[in-house]
Amino acid sequence: MKKTVDARGLEPPQPFERVMDALADLPKGESLLLLLDRMPHPLFRILDRDGYKYESRIRDDGVVEIDILNP
Amino acid sequence: MIPDGQTLSYDAAPAFSTPLRFFLTAPLFGAAAGAALLAAPELLDSRWTPGALAVTHLIAVGFMLTVMLGALFQVLPVVAGAVIPRSGPVATVVHVAMTTGALCLAWGLGSGSPAFLVPATVLLGGGLTLFVVAAFLGLRRIPVAQATPRDMRIALLGFAVAVALGITLALALGGRLDLPLLTVLKLHIGWALLGGSGVLLAAASWVVVPMFQITPNYPATLTRFWAMGTGAVLLVWSATVYGELGSAEFALSAALAALCALFAVSTLRLQRQSRRSVPDMTTRAFQLGMGSFIAGLACVLTAQQSEHQVWPLLAGILILHGGFVSVIVGMLYKIVPFLAWLHLTQDVGKAPNMKKLQPDSPIRRHLALHAVALAALLVAALVGNAWLIRLAGLLVVGEFAFLFANILKVLGNYRRAHAA
Repeated sequence: MKKTVDARGLEPPQPFERVMDALADLPKGESLLLLLDRMPHPLFRILDRDGYKYESRIRDDGVVEIDILNP
Repeated sequence: MIPDGQTLSYDAAPAFSTPLRFFLTAPLFGAAAGAALLAAPELLDSRWTPGALAVTHLIAVGFMLTVMLGALFQVLPVVAGAVIPRSGPVATVVHVAMTTGALCLAWGLGSGSPAFLVPATVLLGGGLTLFVVAAFLGLRRIPVAQATPRDMRIALLGFAVAVALGITLALALGGRLDLPLLTVLKLHIGWALLGGSGVLLAAASWVVVPMFQITPNYPATLTRFWAMGTGAVLLVWSATVYGELGSAEFALSAALAALCALFAVSTLRLQRQSRRSVPDMTTRAFQLGMGSFIAGLACVLTAQQSEHQVWPLLAGILILHGGFVSVIVGMLYKIVPFLAWLHLTQDVGKAPNMKKLQPDSPIRRHLALHAVALAALLVAALVGNAWLIRLAGLLVVGEFAFLFANILKVLGNYRRAHAA
């Protein structure tokens, strides 16, 4: 089952720290689902730099979902 | 399946020094405003004295606009994913133009030397035009459905109108244009404080308040319509001012005040729903700011029905110092340590806790001094005693020096962590 990191309702930079901790433990070929209150533009820069693949979408209730794959 | 190509262009993402130079310069203008009060207390005799005009612009342009522009260089990428093209060189030119322009403007107004107003208008007009064009280029790919980037565009247009009116005023003061000064001045104040600064404050608040103060989001109806509605009413108000339609102008002023009060009350209500058990310093700064805005708006409306000189003075102090300065300082104390943390994480992979980069206790002391300075300014304006005005000026110098020192401390902590 895909790991989910729910970082909603936290003050910056805690959501960022939580996902970075989770990514450090993410094995190659696996992905995780990140839940946030808003689009994390600075995180995308880090994901690009470190070679992760990701896809983001906004749910009808406003929650931002991001699938992150460690290729 | 996750695609390969969902990336944004970050090549031109600004360095930490880009906003920081604005944040470090701005408090010096605030301190200069305090020093002017200290040196020449008679400038508070009315809002029309040359000294009062100089102090107003030291705060509005030298402090408020400088911080706002600096913040936008990094808020746009962080909040909207929009990057201002060639942000480094653009920021250098905008910073030099705005700061030297603000100095010329304050000196020209304060000393009654229209000759200084010409370079002031060229520098401020040129600097802000460059920024507005660059920001629109950065925002061109961002969907207009997002409230914050959409309303920031409206604010940029508001600033453009305010600057155009300011240039018109400077030309009229220099005898190059024959215009009704009071009419153009009213329009300039309306567009600068509400069309530009007020809308920008709201656009930033849509994101900053829920994000940093852990509140629910603003009501969707408010974020969707507030800025556009305010801009539309401001346009109609401008027509009534230009046409000298007294009663219609007052009715529309009241409508604008009601819109501002709606934003302020909504912010205060959201903050009461914060998940924090104890309000943090930024929340306190916002509470002081919103309360001051509401009181200032009441003074604006009273000033339109009364001949007494004190109401416009109180309105100016409450809206500029109590409202905008409080909220901008509150945002700075979140933005500066967050950007330091973000750049450390991006550059060296790890960063100290944000509380280590910016501890709470100096912020608390600074905000206490700011509140005392606000109270002293209000009492000094009411009483009109020269020594009270000097004391208020000294407190204003002290509060902006404190802000400067606190930002400098974050920079020192950032440099130490970067070198470690």
